[in-house]
Amino acid sequence: MDRNKTDYPYTVSGAPDYGMITVTIPRGKTLRVEHGAMAFMDSSVEMHTKAGGGLGRMLSGEGLFINEFTAPEADAEIGIAPPIPGDVDHMYLENDGMFLQSAAFVASAPEISVDARFEGFRGFFSGEGLFLMKCEGTGDLWFNTFGGIIEIDVTDTYVVDTGHVVAFSDTLSYEVQPVGGLKSLFLSGEGLVSRFSGSGTIWIQTKKSPAFVRWANSYRRVQSKKEK
Amino acid sequence: MNVEILHRPANTAAKITLDPNEECTSEGGAMIAMSGDMRVATAVNRHTGSLGRTILTGVSRQIAREGYFLNTFTAGPSGGDLYLGTHLPGDMTMIELTGTTTLKVQSGAFVAHEQGVAMGIVWEGLKSMFSGERLIWLEMRGTGKVLINAFGMIYPIHVDGEYVVDTGNIAAYEATLDYSVTKAGGSWVSSFLGGEGLVARFSGRGTVWCQTHADRVFGSRLTPHLKPRKEK
Repeated sequence: MDRNKTDYPYTVSGAPDYGMITVTIPRGKTLRVEHGAMAFMDSSVEMHTKAGGGLGRMLSGEGLFINEFTAPEADAEIGIAPPIPGDVDHMYLENDGMFLQSAAFVASAPEISVDARFEGFRGFFSGEGLFLMKCEGTGDLWFNTFGGIIEIDVTDTYVVDTGHVVAFSDTLSYEVQPVGGLKSLFLSGEGLVSRFSGSGTIWIQTKKSPAFVRWANSYRRVQSKKEK
Repeated sequence: MNVEILHRPANTAAKITLDPNEECTSEGGAMIAMSGDMRVATAVNRHTGSLGRTILTGVSRQIAREGYFLNTFTAGPSGGDLYLGTHLPGDMTMIELTGTTTLKVQSGAFVAHEQGVAMGIVWEGLKSMFSGERLIWLEMRGTGKVLINAFGMIYPIHVDGEYVVDTGNIAAYEATLDYSVTKAGGSWVSSFLGGEGLVARFSGRGTVWCQTHADRVFGSRLTPHLKPRKEK
């Protein structure tokens, strides 16, 4: 894994609040982009919609379809704005892999395989999706977060609030468990956390949407029974 | 305890680095990530007191919207990191107490404090209610760092003499200052028509930390656009 290497020259603007990436697709090459994330592109760029990843992808909440953008004649530019306001980050995979939280995928080289992995009840109990996206192969990968990204290098063990996990190297293993003892599980407000072990990198986000939604919910008007 | 504030002002998180066996106390639910050997203890009060007092402290903190319980994190033998975040988009700031001044913090604004800081709860009385501030404030004494957060950006104002600040936007202030709630304009009519209503007139010498936005104001603007809840 190398953050600086890339086959697609790109720039990031607006991060960490409204991160957007502008990618140059070299002539003859193709870029795979999360559906709905394309903001603008050169008119020479050709778009194909593919049903990739099958049922697992659909169940993971990422949608069944993914778009492929090709620059057939000359190098061409494409702007990608993820639907969630936040940060974007990039990694170049070198025959290795990383897991992404299901909504975090933004774009990748077509050589990267993106599969939904059923995380079973670990995912269920942590309040997150039941699926993680496993990205493997050699090439570029971009992902986004709600809020800013913080990157943590793990050499031993690290604990992350499950709702803040965005991505992690596949060299790390994790377990979902209560933060402290039983008292802390119910009273600490932290609930269940993911304990990562091994050696690798974790990317976390500074915000999580359920907290924001709970706040907004308290400002909803209460409709009385008489109103229709 | 070393504090590094990241991604200010909209997506702020704080990276706290603790020395071996050092402690940091935070509001419940603020932890984003931490070293694997960090120990967590959940309690109403870090210092043990009588049961009645403990319950009372918890209840007043609940009223102060800070949550009943606090978490105390203790680093392992080689020290450790702790990342703290906020529920709403917004800023954080670190205030260092030197032992001589008391800091008043708006309830809801507290994130964490260092070992040498003691937190109490104070009743600000009716002026607080009229001004749209919370009735209950947190009082920080002792020596060490205090981390606060707010919706919007936090900016300090150094007051020497008198200064006027909009009510509802005060995140914290040093207790060397006192404030009174007055009208903004020359007359009550212009104060209310001008949309400013009441203001806080600070006097003395010290710092006030203000926030650019108030979540209650933003939230109430969202109300017409949110789907109503059904009455139960």
